[in-house]
Parts: sequence; C-alpha cells; structure tokens
Amino acid sequence: MTDVTITQEAGAALVRPGGNVVAASADSLRSAMREAVAGGVREMVVDLTGVEMIDSSGLGVLVSAHNSLNKLGGSLAVVHASKEILDLFRLMRIHQHFSVSGD
Amino acid sequence: MKTQRHVFCQMEATLPGTLAAAEAFLSEYCCRRVCMPAVDWFAVELLLREALANAVKHGCRYDPAKHVRCLLRWRGRRLTIAVRDEGDGFDWRAAGNDTLDGLRTSGLGIHIFRQYATRFRFNHSGNAVTLIKRF
Repeated sequence: MTDVTITQEAGAALVRPGGNVVAASADSLRSAMREAVAGGVREMVVDLTGVEMIDSSGLGVLVSAHNSLNKLGGSLAVVHASKEILDLFRLMRIHQHFSVSGD
Repeated sequence: MKTQRHVFCQMEATLPGTLAAAEAFLSEYCCRRVCMPAVDWFAVELLLREALANAVKHGCRYDPAKHVRCLLRWRGRRLTIAVRDEGDGFDWRAAGNDTLDGLRTSGLGIHIFRQYATRFRFNHSGNAVTLIKRF
C-alpha cells in the first residue's frame, strides 16, 4: 500500500504519493487529497519523484482533484514526472488542463 | 514459465478477482521480464495493468470468489496479453467513442488500449480482451 505524504502550509499542499499511482493505491491517494481540499487547500502540487507507473485509476484521481480545485478557484500541478508518464499525460490530453512537468 | 520454439516467454495464471492478486501477478511479471525482449516496458506494464484492473473492478467487482484468467505471451516481436473474467461483460461497442478531452475521471482504460496497443479486441460479450503489441 502506498504511503501518501502531504505537507500543508497556508492553503497549499505538496503531495508525495510514495509509490506507483495505480488502481491498488488510488483510493488512499484520493482520500488524502480530498481531505486536504476539505481542510482548505487550494493550491496543490503532486510530486511524482520515484513514481514509475500511473494507470487510468491514478489519472482519474489527479483529474478529479484538478476538477475539484478548479471549481474552488484553486489549481493542481504535477512535477517530476518521468518521460513515460509525461507521454501518458499528453496522450490522454490531460496536460492541456493543468501543469505537468518532468524531472 | 514455458519456453517453446519462437516463443520467448509465456506466463499464465488464474487469479482471484482482487487488486492484491493482480498486483502479485504484476510483481511476478516484473521479476520475469528480464528474460523477455528489451522493449517499451512502460507500455507493456500499462496495458497489462489496465486489462487486469478492468477485469477485477468491472468483471469480478472485487469478488475473490470470482476469477481472472491471464495470459502473457511473447512470440518473436509480438506480445499478446489476453485477460478474461467471469463477469457479464460490458458494451465495448459503445465505449471509448467519446472525444478525449483530458477531463474524464473514468473510462480512460479503453483510450489507453487504443494509444498503447497495436490492436485489441473484445469477445462478443465483453468479458475478455486480447491486446496485441508489436515491437
């Protein structure tokens, strides 16, 4: 099971999934991110350092967080994505909606 | 693992319909892939993950009493992934025809098949998928 780490400060949060963002870990990441938004976070950065794989469930969690934050006037960004994961974001056209950057 | 003429590697398993069982199979695959042709590992693992997750979530509805049958076979430069579950299947003819706008939170799996597989097909009832990837 992935250990999600969230560091919060003044309405901003840095999220470190701590492992692959896939079907088996998506629920814990979704819960942690929802809790942060409910707690007042509006600017969220997801650090994918060390993440080797994201599947459709993981993409769904990130897009859902983006949609929620966007409605609240906030934003989501993804940083330190591997080349393969960047390609996946582009193929799924997700990069058109929030910032996704590589190593 | 079986080795045959013109077949580099083959893995077969019948798994309970849980994500934990799917993860265990994926871990075994990752250990064994050292003997497989050096290709785009990300694409192969992603396709395998999507097929297994669909079978567990939608076919078995996470029921460990139901089973997922999985075959992964290399023949030359061609990879075949075949996954079948015991569910009722789904209407694949109506799936994935929407425009990919980047804001969907579900239904992305079939778009991943479309982008990463050379070709794929479902059986008539939609509870089995075969993915072909040529390298």
